Amino acid sequence: MSLYYFFFEEFLNNAIFYYALIVMFSYIFLTFLSAVEMKSYLRKNSYVDYKAILVSPHAPSVSILAPAYNEEASIIDNVRSLLSLHYSNFEVIIINDGSSDNSMAVLIEHFGLEKVKFALNEQIKTKPLRGIYKSKDPAFSRLTVVDKDNGGKSDALNMGINVSGKDLILCIDVDCIVEQDAILKMVKPFLDEGKRVIATGGVVRIANSCEVRDGRLISVNMPDKIIPRFQVLEYIRAFLMGRMAWSRLNGLLLISGAMGLFDKEIVIKVGGYNHNTVGEDMELVVRMRRYMHDQDLRYRVVYTPDPLCWTESPSSATILGRQRNRWTRGTMEVLWLHKDLFFNPRYGFLGLLSYPYWFFFEWLAPILEFVGLFCFIIMAIMGYINWEFSLILFSMVYFFAIMLSTIAVLFEEMSYQQYTKGSDLFRLLGMAVLEPIIYHPLTVYWAIRGNIDKLTGKTSWGTMTRTGFKTKIKQAA
Amino acid sequence: MISKILIVEDEVLMLKALEFRLRKDGYEVHTAADGAVALDLIQAQSFDLIITDIMLPFVGGLEIVSKVKGNPQTKDTPVIMLSAVGLENIVLEAFQLGADDFITKPFNLSELSIRVRKHVKQPSI
Amino acid sequence: MNSIYSVVDYLRDLFTTRLPYFPSNIRSALIIILFCAIVFAELYMYIAVRRIRQNAAKRKKDKWNDTISNLLANIIIYGDDDDTETIINHFLPQFKKLPLYRPFIKKMLTKELLEYHANFIGKTADVLRGLYLRLNLHKEAIAKLKSNYWEKKIEGIREITQMNLRTEAENILQFTDEENGQLRMEAQAAFVKLSDDNPFRFLDRARERILDWHQLVLFEVITKTKNVQIPLFSKWLSSKNDSVVMLCLKLVNHYQQWDAIPLMVLLFKHENLKIRARAIENIGKMEAEMVEENLFEMYFNQPIEIKLNVIEALGRISSGNYLDFLKSRTYSENFKIRMAALYAIKLHGPSGEDLLSKIYHDSTFQNRSIVEHVLDQRIKN
Repeated sequence: MSLYYFFFEEFLNNAIFYYALIVMFSYIFLTFLSAVEMKSYLRKNSYVDYKAILVSPHAPSVSILAPAYNEEASIIDNVRSLLSLHYSNFEVIIINDGSSDNSMAVLIEHFGLEKVKFALNEQIKTKPLRGIYKSKDPAFSRLTVVDKDNGGKSDALNMGINVSGKDLILCIDVDCIVEQDAILKMVKPFLDEGKRVIATGGVVRIANSCEVRDGRLISVNMPDKIIPRFQVLEYIRAFLMGRMAWSRLNGLLLISGAMGLFDKEIVIKVGGYNHNTVGEDMELVVRMRRYMHDQDLRYRVVYTPDPLCWTESPSSATILGRQRNRWTRGTMEVLWLHKDLFFNPRYGFLGLLSYPYWFFFEWLAPILEFVGLFCFIIMAIMGYINWEFSLILFSMVYFFAIMLSTIAVLFEEMSYQQYTKGSDLFRLLGMAVLEPIIYHPLTVYWAIRGNIDKLTGKTSWGTMTRTGFKTKIKQAA
Repeated sequence: MISKILIVEDEVLMLKALEFRLRKDGYEVHTAADGAVALDLIQAQSFDLIITDIMLPFVGGLEIVSKVKGNPQTKDTPVIMLSAVGLENIVLEAFQLGADDFITKPFNLSELSIRVRKHVKQPSI
Repeated sequence: MNSIYSVVDYLRDLFTTRLPYFPSNIRSALIIILFCAIVFAELYMYIAVRRIRQNAAKRKKDKWNDTISNLLANIIIYGDDDDTETIINHFLPQFKKLPLYRPFIKKMLTKELLEYHANFIGKTADVLRGLYLRLNLHKEAIAKLKSNYWEKKIEGIREITQMNLRTEAENILQFTDEENGQLRMEAQAAFVKLSDDNPFRFLDRARERILDWHQLVLFEVITKTKNVQIPLFSKWLSSKNDSVVMLCLKLVNHYQQWDAIPLMVLLFKHENLKIRARAIENIGKMEAEMVEENLFEMYFNQPIEIKLNVIEALGRISSGNYLDFLKSRTYSENFKIRMAALYAIKLHGPSGEDLLSKIYHDSTFQNRSIVEHVLDQRIKN
């Protein structure tokens, strides 16, 4: 009997070792790619005068779509800051998704809104429209407020697309703090790629403990609480390393729901956002990419590494857990909806690399980790564990993780350097040491819970129509 | 009585240049680096002239014009808009809102001095 | 203390005497650990040292920045009555006192001078340019053109253009055929600003596609630079390079060059839909009534987007000759066409408004709502 355990332990050790090796190699590869991409982006754009876009009559027109659900407290500041973004040809469309609070009244009062006789072209089917409002004051002529029955974030965005009269749509969370130059920077890829660009994503950063006034970011600080601080590191790694690498490969599957700029024509052709999934932001990009492949059109999905959008992230483990649970379910839904992409050569890179990557690394990895740990515990209880070997293997993964995080911090240092205080920087590096043993196990646990909830059909965190728009970004590489 | 001028401009260099120049011309010069601060200042005290950039952080130049011209107490305060070449559309909007004059960057400082003198009712010392 | 020693001893043994006896995967893992730990420690130190140096450099920079910008601001308030030369002579000694042999100070001064120069015209700008030349800063700019890095070359080109060193135009010409797109575009833009004889030479030779971004910048440069000899852009409307045609269409519209109208009518058949659309749009914006028949004739065989363009152009021309046609379009199955047709009718002034109220009274519910939309002044498109 003991011989079997011995073989099993041998197998377990080897499995852990080779699995870790594969994961580490792919991370090194992605890190290398993102370094190349970051360098070329920074080099290329250090000589760009964004003012040219600002004043040009030929800059693409942009509609900002911001769905709002019960945002009464902050909506005025947020709308005003959106209206003062630096761009010339744009409109701001706020979609009130049947808020149960006073959002609508507050907006009408503050901006002097009146109902207009808007003839809606319902290109994407949505919940009923209640009314479209414009301001009496010409200073707010860029603002349109749409009032509609509650239908969830996707439905609200689809309504916004129907109302939009511009060529590009910038979908954002209304409570995000958007940098002044955000549109300029995100529009640029649409103008300077040889291939047609169908979407660009902007980097999302954590705004906790940052100084904010009138919906504007005044100074950047490291969050006081530990949970958001871990997320700062996580976001830097995900955006500056993961997304940039995938952008280089033109294999991006996800543009975060907090901020993405899309070609409206293609979005309408694919039927807009899907309101049957909690991963609607990822689902849209996947569907748009499929469409382009189906039509044999050459295209690109691009990320701009500039920090353009700041968001308040969950500061308690409970709320963060719910968010991650939802992300896991979203990932599962998208992967399931598009399962025929899996290693499908017809979809080229999308089918052969992007999709499998998400399948193995985003969905399967936490499960494997969990199963591995489970086996380990069983073996430990039975007393068939070589503690020294196991410890060495764990240390390998641990040291690799802190090295990777440190490289991410280095990327941030060499590019945007948002955390100007020395103490903030060293706190960030401290997080790199703690993250693998404190934060990472939690994310695995939440992912497992998400899997269980999805498979048992339990969506305990409220139905789709009743959730606010707190989904910020998806976990990435 | 020295005339009070408010300059709203987010480019440090431009703000400094205008401030130096107008102070030398004998005005009392106040500055604001963004629209929100400017609105606070306008509410707190009265100015004889406001010079504002169109593209500003927090609150745009257009909103400043609309606030100034929409308030019976300040509606007679002249407003000069500063803008980059090519923002003619927005300048037009500013005029509809009641802006009194506009200056395009790059501009001639002597010309600015003259225009300011024309708009400020009380003569400078 | 003992325990610390034993940990150290343990680790030393692990990586020395015991290392060869581990199974291969554990051995590799140990080597990876060592590698990661060393990289981590080095990165940590590198980041720390980088920060410390950066802070020191910043303090130094702030100090000088203040000195330089105060010097420059003093020029701004200098009297209007003195002539340029006098002012330059007054300030030159003060600038010469700066330690310009230190590269970073020279760089900083150059940058500030350029920035000020970009914001002002008239005497202030002349004084700034005079100082720039007398301090021999232009020699650096010209030297940059010989650099191996395209970024440096761009920097040089921009400096030369900003300070209007027209004698360097020929020197920049060589880069207008450059392989690097960004450098090529910068050189083309500079050449338009600096060249006296043939600033638009690059349009003849452009073989590569001019990216939308570059078109946008070139358009800005061409239309915003004073004293450029504007040619007739119709000359390039038959170019084989679609991006050249596109750029020239934008320019034809900007300068309202009527001679291009017959050529634009030919472009109605261009296979590139974007060019077709832009040509139609131009005809509308130039209100070229004489070719409206061509617009009408092409209408029926076009894809939706082009149809929308044609309707809009007929609206802009608003001769009244095609009101019946536009009215017939309000029965289209396509919402966008109906709306575009109603907008086009509205552009016809009083006769259009009469027609709109007629359509309003005897049409379907949905068309009524579009008429209301079109007539609602608060909605702008």
